[in-house]
Amino acid sequence: MVTTVLFYAFAAILLVAALGVITARNPVHSVLFLVFAFLQSAVLWLLLEAEFLAITLVVVYVGAVMVLFLFVVMMLNINVEELRSGFTRYLPLGIGVALVVVIEIANVIWFRSEGQAFVTPTPHAADYSNTKELGGVLYTEHVFALEIAAMLLLLAIVAAITLTMRTRHRPGLKVQDVPAQVAVRAEDRIRVVKVGPVKE
Amino acid sequence: MLANYLPILIFVIVAAGLGVVLLGIGFVLGRGQKDQEKLSAYECGFEAFEDTRNRFDVRYYLVAILFILFDLELAFFVPWAVSLDAVGLFGIGAMGVFLALLVVGFIYEWKKGALEWD
Repeated sequence: MVTTVLFYAFAAILLVAALGVITARNPVHSVLFLVFAFLQSAVLWLLLEAEFLAITLVVVYVGAVMVLFLFVVMMLNINVEELRSGFTRYLPLGIGVALVVVIEIANVIWFRSEGQAFVTPTPHAADYSNTKELGGVLYTEHVFALEIAAMLLLLAIVAAITLTMRTRHRPGLKVQDVPAQVAVRAEDRIRVVKVGPVKE
Repeated sequence: MLANYLPILIFVIVAAGLGVVLLGIGFVLGRGQKDQEKLSAYECGFEAFEDTRNRFDVRYYLVAILFILFDLELAFFVPWAVSLDAVGLFGIGAMGVFLALLVVGFIYEWKKGALEWD
């Protein structure tokens, strides 16, 4: 009962935040609304007793991905007027995509599940650990998927470095020599001068 | 299980309520005498040089992307550490392969100089 009330409360906030993403005039506000929407979806995961997914959503999406989004939005020169000028031109395409998504969701929710009774999952005991259950199958049964994930991460590291790295060692470029800075001694840098008494 | 999260729910409600109350008090009781100087962009006392939206060095993005990748790697470690007694030696081996692949990426990153700023 309480869970149902909480679900509707957080789902309503999620919808408001999602609307805010597409209606906010300032792109930075849109990103902050998206952060808020992610936080609400984390709560929905939690209500499904999927603790680990909830925490991962907060740590990875809110903590890292959205910060990168914010970075990109704040640093790119986004001209709002220019973006709005294409509104009517892209409107038919946008409506088409939205329709397809709505039909797909309706298909899953209403037509595919027709005749299947809705089963309320039984709540787990207080000492149930979703993370432990997940780990129990992830590293044994789905080990192949795990290694593919590692491969993907490796690929992403290499791709990010190849795309953005620039070697900047032009001749004459002044760079810090960190070991030399660390190894420096007081005698190399300061000279203590003995000053004799000065007569007025 | 969800009963364990009741303190967090209370905390969230109190935090949201406090935020609303503090902002509301300021909004209701504040006199709000605004003038152009108060509302203008403040940049340490001098005139603002340029717009906020200017382009930054791509290396900031590189650092952020590499952070996300290793953040994800860490997310794979948490269930492993929690369920270590259940997955046994096979799990340790699986994580060894996972880690070995990422260490290859880490060495590449290090040798390529992506961690250096200059």
